[in-house]
Amino acid sequence: MRESYEHCIRCTICVENCPVFKVNPEYPGPKQAGPDAMRFRMEGEKKVDKWINMCTQCRRCEQVCPHDVKPASLILKSQIEYARANGSAPTQVMFSNFHFISHLASFFAPIANLATSMTIVKKMMKIIGLRDDIPFPRFSFKTMQRKKVKPQPGIRKAVFFHGCYLNGNAPDTGRDIVQLMQDMGVEVIIPPQVCCGLPALGNGNEKKAISFAKKNAAVFAEKVNEGYDILYSCTSCGHTLVHSYPELVGEEGKLIADNSWNIYEYMEKLIDENQLKLPEGKMEKTIAYHIPCHLKGTGKPYPVINIFKSIPGVKLHIMDENCCGFSGSYGFKKKNKETTDKLGRIAANALLEVNPDVIISDCGACRMQIENFTDVRICDPADILKESFQ
Amino acid sequence: MKYDVVIIGGGMAGLMSSIYMAEQGFKTAVVSKGDPVCSISTGCIDVAGDFTGIPENHPYGRAGEDKIRLSLDYFKKLMEKEGLPYIGEFLQNRFIYTSIASRRATSMVPLSMAEAHEAKKGSIHIISFKGMKDFFPGYFKGEENNQNISIFDAGSKTTIGIATSFDDLTFREKFFNWIGDQTIDADVIAVPAVLGTKNPQAIIDEIEKISGKKIFEIPTLPPSMPGLRLFRTLKRAASQRGVDLFWGNAISDYTEEKGQIQSLIIDQPGRPTIVESRSFILATGSFVSGGLFAEKTSVRETVFDLNVSIPEGEQRLNDSFFDPGHPLGRAGIAVDEKYKPVNSIMKNLFIGGSILENSQIMKYQCGHGMAIVTGLESAKSCEEYLK
Ligand SMILES: Cc1cc2nc3c(=O)[nH]c(=O)nc-3n(C[C@H](O)[C@H](O)[C@H](O)COP(=O)(O)OP(=O)(O)OC[C@H]3O[C@@H](n4cnc5c(N)ncnc54)[C@H](O)[C@@H]3O)c2cc1C
Ligand code: SF4
Ligand code: SF4
Repeated sequence: MRESYEHCIRCTICVENCPVFKVNPEYPGPKQAGPDAMRFRMEGEKKVDKWINMCTQCRRCEQVCPHDVKPASLILKSQIEYARANGSAPTQVMFSNFHFISHLASFFAPIANLATSMTIVKKMMKIIGLRDDIPFPRFSFKTMQRKKVKPQPGIRKAVFFHGCYLNGNAPDTGRDIVQLMQDMGVEVIIPPQVCCGLPALGNGNEKKAISFAKKNAAVFAEKVNEGYDILYSCTSCGHTLVHSYPELVGEEGKLIADNSWNIYEYMEKLIDENQLKLPEGKMEKTIAYHIPCHLKGTGKPYPVINIFKSIPGVKLHIMDENCCGFSGSYGFKKKNKETTDKLGRIAANALLEVNPDVIISDCGACRMQIENFTDVRICDPADILKESFQ
Repeated sequence: MKYDVVIIGGGMAGLMSSIYMAEQGFKTAVVSKGDPVCSISTGCIDVAGDFTGIPENHPYGRAGEDKIRLSLDYFKKLMEKEGLPYIGEFLQNRFIYTSIASRRATSMVPLSMAEAHEAKKGSIHIISFKGMKDFFPGYFKGEENNQNISIFDAGSKTTIGIATSFDDLTFREKFFNWIGDQTIDADVIAVPAVLGTKNPQAIIDEIEKISGKKIFEIPTLPPSMPGLRLFRTLKRAASQRGVDLFWGNAISDYTEEKGQIQSLIIDQPGRPTIVESRSFILATGSFVSGGLFAEKTSVRETVFDLNVSIPEGEQRLNDSFFDPGHPLGRAGIAVDEKYKPVNSIMKNLFIGGSILENSQIMKYQCGHGMAIVTGLESAKSCEEYLK
């Protein structure tokens, strides 16, 4: 890592692409928080400051840096260091363990949903540093794990990594995605799994992240060895599987990274190999597509675009210049409210500029955030694909 | 998927190549390791400080006046279409102001800087922002005592922070009200280029309506918004024309067969990405963007390890390090009249932009201009090859 930050030429390209820097004057930006501050983080030097947690880990800085400096990775290391040195705030503990909360909450879904909307609970949330002015995600009892789509034999076999959000908060969309893949001839099974580990990482708890990653890697690696491909739809889970698992788990993690596919990337590949033909679709709609940071971060052309292009009547507008500002648990924290709100409004306004009939985004957290700023319908790309194929 | 052409490098040269190729109907992709210099530049198109002083062996020599003019016209039409119009003519340089109050010649400017050309020092009313970094109104005062300056408190001190505020309608309203309260006697208003991260025309129109004065922007030190606007407009234009963008990861290897490059291998977490194509254009820029890399005793081209020409017999690390004429400024790839690298067996590779030998960008002040011209010209050669 040392070599990489010493290649920084201080061109400020990362700075002009940092969403937090542009709306929060308190944050010094990726150049200062990353490579510039590294020299103060050597052995024996004073450790990092509190502002390090203002970074949302959107990773936009890394994608634009022409010199392979990895500001976001340097910052993440410092965030973990900071949590280690200063202890975790209650919100950090809570979101590191979001997997367990999600499990409990979906089991007691009606009660949990009621509870998170009650004044007293909101007051408690406020005390530990959570925002009480935005709705907490609603939980569903019929998770993807509890009500599984029945596997249908096909030409290919895949395992689906649903992650916490699809499983606990949007399981119907999750089931639709799986069904869509199966209708196209891919047999999909849903193995038991835990959180990908990103919330733990993002809240400075590397140990917890490693323990989650190891559990998942063991299950999914076995399937890969049996000839299954790994599919994901949540772009943040996908980013973690591909970017972080090799580092968190080692060899088995690398196997996961090498065999994980975004569902649309997978469809494109099968179409390319003449193994799959898309159903005929039709839809008269203007669609604004909010690209999640972690999809942009793959550095590849956005795969769902080509699929939408083949549907007559669809007018698709791609918006990838804005981070929605929510960044998983970041946006739930009171101290981040102003940054999150400003970024959310910017992202929503950009989408609304094209007068969309519907807004789509692959990430549940992005959708939740943008919903706060508009009445236009917002959903997963798979929901729209499904409708267009009917 | 196999492309007709893959352009390596998403700077001024590479994006222009890609837009041209996509417009000709070729299946086109751009592979870029990061964002280019253009995105932090002034956004003005330098074509040449003094065109008559440019030697034959400069890339302009190969292109010739007619093709230079054609290329610049293509650029201007493109920008008009994309809603960020430029003005200025080849061989007729115009002036802009810099953030330290000096005047500088350039060739084409975005409309928001048009009025700078005629504006005389001392008869400009400067509007700046409280605590702003990267812009120094004091210099204007230092040059001309009677310079009037008004300072607005934008709540942010950085160029990108203030520009982002200007994207917001409520903020604009507050600013417009404040402008209305200022007494402005000067002929023209100048403001650092922070009037939004996008085309500032609507804001400019409104200020002109309120104040009754003409107004122009002054580019700040990097990061500079007019450069960002230019880059994002070009990138979007490429994407809208169907160009696939592979962005943010380095190329680790390539495959070659019988003098034909077959594919690029992009190193990234997980599976490497393999991009196959019939032809390739290399536009990775020079040292600043990493197309060239200076070792202690040699200069390396970073993708194909092409032969880099560097002036022989001159001391490379001499005292003139910051002089515009430094020998390293001439380092680059030597090409034939078809923009193919000489000393290379690759038949389907073309070279454009500041990575070309003898560019001497600083000395001849030919930055974006040369990138536009050679980006388009190398693309046309590639087009001929593909037909
Ligand atoms: C600070 C600064 C300000 C400037 N301001 C101006 C100005 O205001 N007006 C003007 O006319 N000129 C200006 N110039 C000069 C001008 O920017 C350049 O000469 C011109 O834009 C070069 O364009 P290019 O496309 O050849 O290369 P670049 O803009 O350098 O683009 C090269 C691209 O290739 C990518 N790349 C590099 N290596 C690899 C690799 N191995 N694999 C994949 N991709 C790679 C880079 O990430 C980059 O995106 C400025 C230069 C500097 C340094
Ligand atoms: S980290 Fe990269 S983009 Fe940021 S200033 Fe350094 S070299 Fe430039
Ligand atoms: S990861 Fe995102 S928020 Fe963090 S420094 Fe980089 S660009 Fe800024």
